[in-house]
Amino acid sequence: MKIAVIVFPGSNCDIDLYEALSSVCGADVDYVSHKQDNLTGYDAVMLPGGFSYGDYLRAGAIARFAPVMGAVVKMANKGKPVFGTCNGFQILTEAGLLPGGLKRNNSQKFVCKTVPLEVVNNQTLFTSQYQEHERIALPIAHADGSYYADEETLDDLEAHHQVVFRYAEENPNGSLRNIAGITNRQGNVLGMMPHPERAVEAILGNTDGLRLFKSLLENGHAKVEE
Amino acid sequence: MTKVRIFVTYKPSVFDPQGDTITKTIHTLGYDEVKDVQVGKFFDVTIDANGDQVAATVKEIAEKLLVNFNMETYTYQVLEDQQ
Repeated sequence: MKIAVIVFPGSNCDIDLYEALSSVCGADVDYVSHKQDNLTGYDAVMLPGGFSYGDYLRAGAIARFAPVMGAVVKMANKGKPVFGTCNGFQILTEAGLLPGGLKRNNSQKFVCKTVPLEVVNNQTLFTSQYQEHERIALPIAHADGSYYADEETLDDLEAHHQVVFRYAEENPNGSLRNIAGITNRQGNVLGMMPHPERAVEAILGNTDGLRLFKSLLENGHAKVEE
Repeated sequence: MTKVRIFVTYKPSVFDPQGDTITKTIHTLGYDEVKDVQVGKFFDVTIDANGDQVAATVKEIAEKLLVNFNMETYTYQVLEDQQ
C-alpha cells in the first residue's frame, strides 16, 4: 500500500504525518507536492495540518484549487482512503468531499491542548482498531475548528453514522453536536480536527492516535490485495 | 470598467462569535441601545466589464471562491461604473 502525504505551501504537520506512517508504522509513504496533478500509483492520500496559503480568505479555501486536488477528488470518488487532519479537514470541506465547514472557534482563540474524545463509529477503515464508544485523548491545535452544518445535514450525518469522533467532555471550539471528525457517506474520506499523528509514540506521552494509522494500513492492505 | 464591493457575512442562522463579543463589549461601554453586531468582510473588486457581465462575474467568483455557502451569504454594490 503506497501512501501520498500532500505538501501545500504553509503545511506544517506534513513531516509528523509522514513519520507516523513511515518510521512508526513502516508504511511506504511519499511527500507529494501540491503542484502535481496526478496520484497514479497511490492507494491512499493524506492532507496534513498547517496553514495552507496562510489561511487567506478561509482556512482551506485556496488549497482546494491546488493542482493536486483534482487527483485527490478522483481518488475519493474511486473509494480510496483520503484522510485530512486539522487544515486537511478544512480543505476536505472546502473541496466538497465532506459536508459542512469549520468556523473560527467560539472563544476566538487558538486552542492547543490534549482533549478527550469518544470514538463514535469504529466501523470505518480508519477506526476499526478502536472499541465502539472508547474514550481516547488526542491533541488539538487550531483557531478555526468549530464544525458547522445546518440541522438537516447534521441529522443526515448522524443517521448514516458519519460522525466518527466527538469531543467527550468539554467542547473546545463550539463545534455543533460536539463533532470532532466525520466521514463522507461512503466512509472512505475522514476529516478530523484532532492530530492523531502527534500521538503515536510513548515518548510523545500519548499513543492514542497510533491505531488510526494501523487501522488504515490493515484495511488498506486488505483492499489492495482484493 | 466597474468597481464593486462584495460583502460576505455569516447567514443569520449561524452564530457569529466575533459579533457576539463585540456586542457585549459595546454594552460594557454603556450603549445598551445597541442590540446586535454582525461581523463580515468585504472585497473591492475591479472588473473590466459593465452591466450584466459584471453581475455574472460577481456571481461566479462569489460562488466558486469568496463565499462558503454552508455558512455564509453575500451581497454587493457597484461603487463606480465607468463606461
